[in-house]
Amino acid sequence: MRIATSQIFSQQTASIDNLTAQQSQLGNELSTGKRVNRPSDDPTHIAQDLSLRTQIAQGNQTGDNVANLSAELTTVDGALSSVTDVLQKARALAVSGASDALTPAQRQAMATQVDGLLGELVGLGNTQYAGKYVFGGTAALGQAPVKPGGTPTSSVTFSGNLQSQTQVLPSGQSVPSSVSIQQAFNFASTDGSPNAFQTLIDLRNALAQGTVADVSQAGVNVPGTSLAPITPINTAGILSTPLVADANGNTDISISSALAPNGVTIAINPNLPMASVLAAINAQTGATGVTASFDYAQQKLTLSSSAGAPFQVQDIVSPGAPTPGNFTAAFGLTQQADQTNTVSAQIGDVDTILNVALNARTTVGQTIQNLQTVASLQSSQVLNNTAVQSGIEDADIAKVITAFSQTQTALQAAYGTTTKLESKSLFDYLG
Amino acid sequence: MSFFPQASFYGIGLIGKSLDAFQLAENVTSNNIANVNTPGASRQQAVLTQAVPIVGSPGYAVHVGGTVGDGAAVQNIQRIHSDTYDSMFRGASSSQNYYSVQNDALNSLQSTFGDPNSGVSTQFTAFQTAINQMVAQAGSGQSDSVRANVLAQAQSLTNALNQTASAITAQKATTLSQAGTLVTTVNGILDQIASLNGQIRASTAVGDNPNTFADQRDQLIDNLSQYMSTQTAIQPDGSTLVTVNGQALVNDAVAYHLATPTIGTSATGQSTFKIDFASNPPAAATAPGIPLGSGQLAGLQDLYNNKLSVYGTQLDQFSSGLADSINRVTTASYDQNGQPGQALFAPIVGTLPIGAANIRLGISNASQLPLALANTAAGSLVVPLNSANNVVDTSQQLTNNGNLANPPAAGLLGTLTVTVDGASQSFTYSTTAGGNADSIDDFIGSFNAAHLGATASYDASAQRIVFARDPANADLAHRAAQGANPTDPTFTVVDSNYAVATPATSLLGVLGAGGIDNVVENAANAFGSHDNGGANALLATFSSSSGVPAVQTTSAAAAVAATPMTIPLPAGTNDVTVGSVLTLDATTGGGAPQENVVVTGISINTVTGIESITFVPAAAHAVGFSVASAQVQTLGAFYGNLITQVGLDGQTVSTGTSTQTTLASNIDATRQGISGINIDEETQNLIKYQNAYQAAARTMNVLDSLLNTVINTLGVH
Repeated sequence: MRIATSQIFSQQTASIDNLTAQQSQLGNELSTGKRVNRPSDDPTHIAQDLSLRTQIAQGNQTGDNVANLSAELTTVDGALSSVTDVLQKARALAVSGASDALTPAQRQAMATQVDGLLGELVGLGNTQYAGKYVFGGTAALGQAPVKPGGTPTSSVTFSGNLQSQTQVLPSGQSVPSSVSIQQAFNFASTDGSPNAFQTLIDLRNALAQGTVADVSQAGVNVPGTSLAPITPINTAGILSTPLVADANGNTDISISSALAPNGVTIAINPNLPMASVLAAINAQTGATGVTASFDYAQQKLTLSSSAGAPFQVQDIVSPGAPTPGNFTAAFGLTQQADQTNTVSAQIGDVDTILNVALNARTTVGQTIQNLQTVASLQSSQVLNNTAVQSGIEDADIAKVITAFSQTQTALQAAYGTTTKLESKSLFDYLG
Repeated sequence: MSFFPQASFYGIGLIGKSLDAFQLAENVTSNNIANVNTPGASRQQAVLTQAVPIVGSPGYAVHVGGTVGDGAAVQNIQRIHSDTYDSMFRGASSSQNYYSVQNDALNSLQSTFGDPNSGVSTQFTAFQTAINQMVAQAGSGQSDSVRANVLAQAQSLTNALNQTASAITAQKATTLSQAGTLVTTVNGILDQIASLNGQIRASTAVGDNPNTFADQRDQLIDNLSQYMSTQTAIQPDGSTLVTVNGQALVNDAVAYHLATPTIGTSATGQSTFKIDFASNPPAAATAPGIPLGSGQLAGLQDLYNNKLSVYGTQLDQFSSGLADSINRVTTASYDQNGQPGQALFAPIVGTLPIGAANIRLGISNASQLPLALANTAAGSLVVPLNSANNVVDTSQQLTNNGNLANPPAAGLLGTLTVTVDGASQSFTYSTTAGGNADSIDDFIGSFNAAHLGATASYDASAQRIVFARDPANADLAHRAAQGANPTDPTFTVVDSNYAVATPATSLLGVLGAGGIDNVVENAANAFGSHDNGGANALLATFSSSSGVPAVQTTSAAAAVAATPMTIPLPAGTNDVTVGSVLTLDATTGGGAPQENVVVTGISINTVTGIESITFVPAAAHAVGFSVASAQVQTLGAFYGNLITQVGLDGQTVSTGTSTQTTLASNIDATRQGISGINIDEETQNLIKYQNAYQAAARTMNVLDSLLNTVINTLGVH
């Protein structure tokens, strides 16, 4: 075959160029350790590669988020644990305070202890995690949401809201990052039972001031049913002793006390709900010194007067009617209660809120456990994704080094051949 | 037998002629050696022939029954060349240059994109991660720094988009100016070919064999084929007709110059790169330019029209989709300050739509990032829907339900109009047994399934219905409508039946939500600034379908109500299938009459390749109504597809460059094997002719001594 002289040179140049380009590509793979450095290196996998990079970054961030969430929930759990400790101490004080053998001074000392516990509980209600009030709900809070009022504390206000704080994971799963103050402290409970702070205030007052209270002997309801704030009190089948009105259809009562020696008549309509009944009694507090509250959890009515003032509750007959109503019988009230009863009545309330706090703790504990599953799933996903990404992107170093050496050998051979070819010509042999 | 004397100087004349021939052959060889490295030079061969004796001359000695001959002569100087390989080489050379000119541009463009190690995808991931972090740190002490980071990452993302867009624009400008330079070169080559044609024709006319001119012309046509596809036809007069896909570039001694490349408008309205003839520009701006076929100019044209422009458009779509999806959430939210949210991404030039080059941050303070979503729960606008002291069971029938404050009579029918993002959509309800609002649960289920941009839920403790703005539950109309973002997160729900005096006659009245009838929402209705609704919705944006419409076009024909109509789709659209939902609007970006229709048929014109879709509109629409279909992929996937396309193009041109280079060099090797000059061969020729010359000279010497004998020895002494 004829070969043009210029062709010998251009062919050699082309093959040296090719080999140099190959060597540069392999050198690039070796220095970066990656097979894919540009989209055109592997266009069929580049979209998957980009998506994996995002998933890995998001997975790592989600891992951090879950760890952060766990830490927050652990803080909540710790706070709830302290809440149960405080309430158990309060319960112990209530139990011993109910004893007849105590002197007023001893009760006063106990009241001081309960006041201290109340302070602790307020502090726990303002527990913070990373600057966020965990029981504050979703409201924007510039200051601590739980605020005691009066000296000694006579009320506790809450400036947050009852929404639960949640965090959404990229999977779309919504995880509660805390419990609401309702779940933890029975604040603004749906069944109307007193919250943890009010219970301790009541207990302290009962111990300190010897509040006289008349409390239902037992739950007023038929077991299995319950009286709700909006249920008319004489709804069939709820009261174990149904109200029997007098001839005028009323079950009115009269409360007499030092303030009202002649008694104040309070109209009770059996067709109204409990909330209206309480409102009717409390509307006369100024005249009688007696306040009413209904413990929806225990289904007990409490009438109490402050500062140990005795009072009497009587069913009364409507003028012209033959028989009185049976309000006191239906609500299990006695004519007058003593101080011991008052304190022991608080034990039930403390038990209620203790249960609430324990339930909240269970919820938090379960969430923490679920998060551990999420976290381990997340980290194994990141691991898998990283492995797949490495399969797409990473160069097989052994293979690349072998190819690199091969190319180098070929390149050296090409150099040698070129110089040898160039040095030979028939002219060299002309005489 | 008679004696015929030989002419005394016949032998000397004969050998002298041969000496001339050998000298000429040596000269041809010298010329070959001299041109061993000259591009395009074909080897020449002195074709020796026996000089035919003239009748009656001493060489024409018929008397002894044979002729001696008249020595050797050079018949002609032949150019060894094959035109077949020329056209093969030029084809391969055109393809090689078509790819290699794009290869360089795409290599540099890929470095600008930077994926997968840097660039838009990296910034987009960082932006998502920052939002993920913000979702986790809402309300915490680190929240401010985390929110600042979201803003910083968003800034980096816009920077990356701006940079990539400007790199594409710069590459387009470079392509255009590069093509301009090439056109100048091409015009020079055309002039030279035309001038050579003239010389060759003149030489051929006088019987000459203009080998050198032919070599030069072939070389110029080789050069020309680097820039565009060329075809040649040698004419009987020796000139060559050079054409590009049937259009003459050089005819005889006339060169048809190319005009500087221009950006014209295609029939479908896209700006396209084209090259016309300088002397005969087309009248219409939409007329296609010269069909260049292959070569560098065609490569630059393909790069501009089918690669750079497409990347630019898709990057713009990604940017506007990003802005649309994210802004939809941020503007539907309230920020940390309790203020209506603002668009996170805004155009740099407000009068132009958002694109990769026209995108910046719309907010400057991290506290303006979204937190809560607009909601009707906490305000005073809604009242409990139960009657006093009764609890409503949401699974019970609404009709005559005594637990409701305003129980409806049987068979309440009506329409809710939900206005979100300035677009209104209607929801028809029926409280009839089995209807979509038979119970509260039924209503909530069917309302939410209508994707109206707001969702309903029931707050059992407050006994209230809650309507919340939900950007993730927006319908096609809101998704497809580009740039129709609200200025604040308000939304309204209006019941056509609502009357203050008779709430039981409308569903909103029954639900106790009559107060939001025609009343806009306000910040007080959000759950609170630590309700992360807005931030959570931002995170959800990345896993939902993007704001880039799969189809966005306008109809050139009016739609007639309830009559099937077929419209062509823009080129490159292939994400629509039978059953896809399209949103029809009066104008692009939304407007009544508006409706959603289902694609009932798809057809493809096999000649033009244009895809058409068929649907049946319920209402009539005027000419120019817009047709949009929601994207079925996420923003990340959309960008991934763009990068895949860049990568595939890069790989195609790189592979094309290397295979076509090999092909061209193989064909050239074959061609050179025929016409190339080989020094060794020429050396042999040199020796061959030298020896022959020496022998002939020696013969001359002998003849001389013969004559010498006759003249000097036989003479008188």
